[in-house]
Amino acid sequence: MSVSTAEGMAPDGVKETEGREPALAFKIALVILLGILCLVPFLFVLAISVGHKIEGAGWAFGFELTHYKRFLLGATWPETFQILYLQKLGYSLMFAAIGAVIAVALAFPFTYFLTRLTRRGQTVWLVLLLSSLSLSEVFIVMGWDILLSARSGLPALLDWVGFTDLMKDWGWFQWFRDIGLASPRAFKFKTSGLATVLCMSYLVWPYAVILLYPALSRLEPSLMEAARTMGARPSVVMRTVVLPSVKLPLFGSTLLLFVFLLGTYVTVTVFADPSQHTLAVSIYDSVRGSTLNAPFGAAQSVILLITAAVFLFAGQKLSNAGDRA
Amino acid sequence: MTGTINMNRRTLLKSGATFAAASTLAAPLIAQERSLKIGSYGGYFENSFKEHVYPGFTEATGIVVESVTQPNSADWLISMAQAAQAGNVPADLSLYGRDTLIKASREEGLLAPLDMSMISAAGALDPYFIFEAAPGVLGVGAMSWFSSMVINPDEIEPPESWADFWDTSVFEQSLGVVRRFNGGMMDIIAATFFDGEATFETEDGIQAIVAKAAELKPNVALWWSAESQMEQAMKNLDVVAGTYYHDVAGIMAADGFPILSMFPKEGCVQDYGSWCLSGLSDKGAEAAEFVNFSSTPEVQAIMSRMIGTAPLLPQEATDLTDEEFAAVSGTPSIRPAYSAYLDRETYIQENWDAMLAGS
Repeated sequence: MSVSTAEGMAPDGVKETEGREPALAFKIALVILLGILCLVPFLFVLAISVGHKIEGAGWAFGFELTHYKRFLLGATWPETFQILYLQKLGYSLMFAAIGAVIAVALAFPFTYFLTRLTRRGQTVWLVLLLSSLSLSEVFIVMGWDILLSARSGLPALLDWVGFTDLMKDWGWFQWFRDIGLASPRAFKFKTSGLATVLCMSYLVWPYAVILLYPALSRLEPSLMEAARTMGARPSVVMRTVVLPSVKLPLFGSTLLLFVFLLGTYVTVTVFADPSQHTLAVSIYDSVRGSTLNAPFGAAQSVILLITAAVFLFAGQKLSNAGDRA
Repeated sequence: MTGTINMNRRTLLKSGATFAAASTLAAPLIAQERSLKIGSYGGYFENSFKEHVYPGFTEATGIVVESVTQPNSADWLISMAQAAQAGNVPADLSLYGRDTLIKASREEGLLAPLDMSMISAAGALDPYFIFEAAPGVLGVGAMSWFSSMVINPDEIEPPESWADFWDTSVFEQSLGVVRRFNGGMMDIIAATFFDGEATFETEDGIQAIVAKAAELKPNVALWWSAESQMEQAMKNLDVVAGTYYHDVAGIMAADGFPILSMFPKEGCVQDYGSWCLSGLSDKGAEAAEFVNFSSTPEVQAIMSRMIGTAPLLPQEATDLTDEEFAAVSGTPSIRPAYSAYLDRETYIQENWDAMLAGS
């Protein structure tokens, strides 16, 4: 599309349609801006990802596919096979998917009742939500870190109300230890997959509400009223009227938040055990960490980007199909 | 009214002339004033340098120091390499950890050799802290620090050996251990269970260290990457022992937190920072004077007292008391296997990360 727009700028063409000139210039400026902001950084990452890593030093531009090979098979393949990076990609996908689904699942009822409020009530809630977006990930993680710490947070509370002792008396404590939510002394939520997923959902929950809000507020109340008059119970109305009419926004929001969460870094470093670390952490470790292996970091980024693109593309296809159905 | 304006204009012109004259006079003075841009890790560390080290240097030599904030060693090397390509570097002297220094030395032109004839005080330092490569001496030790064993003395008895950490009956889900492959844990394992640095020479040796680390996993509640994570975990009782910085642990203990930094019988990991001159700097002489100043026993002692770093000289060479020395240093010292970490970095990193990622 960018090419055709640029070709359309033939000098005589511009003269003939003077009225279109500002629009065309504007379009070209937009394309250039888009190119600088999106394409150039991406091409850089792509070029670095095929660069050459000098062992024990930095790296240099070049052309080799070693880093992609390392991602898929490990650095010492074919002597040994290493599934490490695929596993990290798997955790990226898993955490992002669960986080996005939980966020949307919790945001949906909230937004539904929000749209039933008075105009004034809605405004207050929306302003509150928008202001919560100003909190950075670091800040939110710090808050959850305190909430889940042994001395200051939830474990201390469970201890204080006697839940820890109760579980120990009943012999159920071992079960919590087996699933990694307790140390020999007390409950322990850091590090755990639970804490990671909770914090991720919390991060994107306001976005979920804001994404669902337009669709749910456009929902015609008379539809529900008609269904109710005809004798449908509220749960039936929800299942057969509300949900089908907002299934596309629901799906779209989940997909968007999923892609957003693929890059979560701080939450994972703080709350996830290294055995559950994601590709984002590995990318950072490669680029900024002690090995200065920017090419490998770039190769991992390209793979993460392709994965996100595949999911967005599949989502687009699915929602188109859903639209036609 | 016109008169007033005229007068004002005249006054203005006159003062302008005075100013011009003054600046002509001052010009040679400015040209003579010698200055040096020195990088150090930001925050408390840099502030301590500005407060306790640089003024003394300016007083002794007349060289004015401009302090430059470095985030750390590794990231700073990236910034310096990029700046060098652009032809203008933000600092004359930088502070690099030994691994970063070796990396920098392998990139041509990034570092310039220091004029050792002007750095006589460095003769008293342990030769280990003087880094020499093909072009000459590229790094002279600035200060050192220890990664030590820390415990919560309210919760557990001080262990005698690092090997005690592997005792699951005492330490199950209780340790905070550094996550980076070259953060010191591999060196501790090599010193405790194997032949120290020599173990890193073969792939079998590295495999053995990693396998030993895997046995520790049930006892590790936190693999920390940022210093603050471990600090919080110790304060919040999320962990009751582990590896941490000796000096920071001392500061935490002084603030009343239950933390004891100690040297078990195998010792603790000693790392150090070096002063390195940028290849693009034209302040070689000033830099050499500063490095000489920083290597003197007096300044080494000032840094130990004020910044909490370990001196690069034996205690006897300084005027540090036993208590002051113990707060920043100790014996024995485990020296990291720097060359293995660099020459086999991909191999070691991938094996270590795979160990961490395995369930």
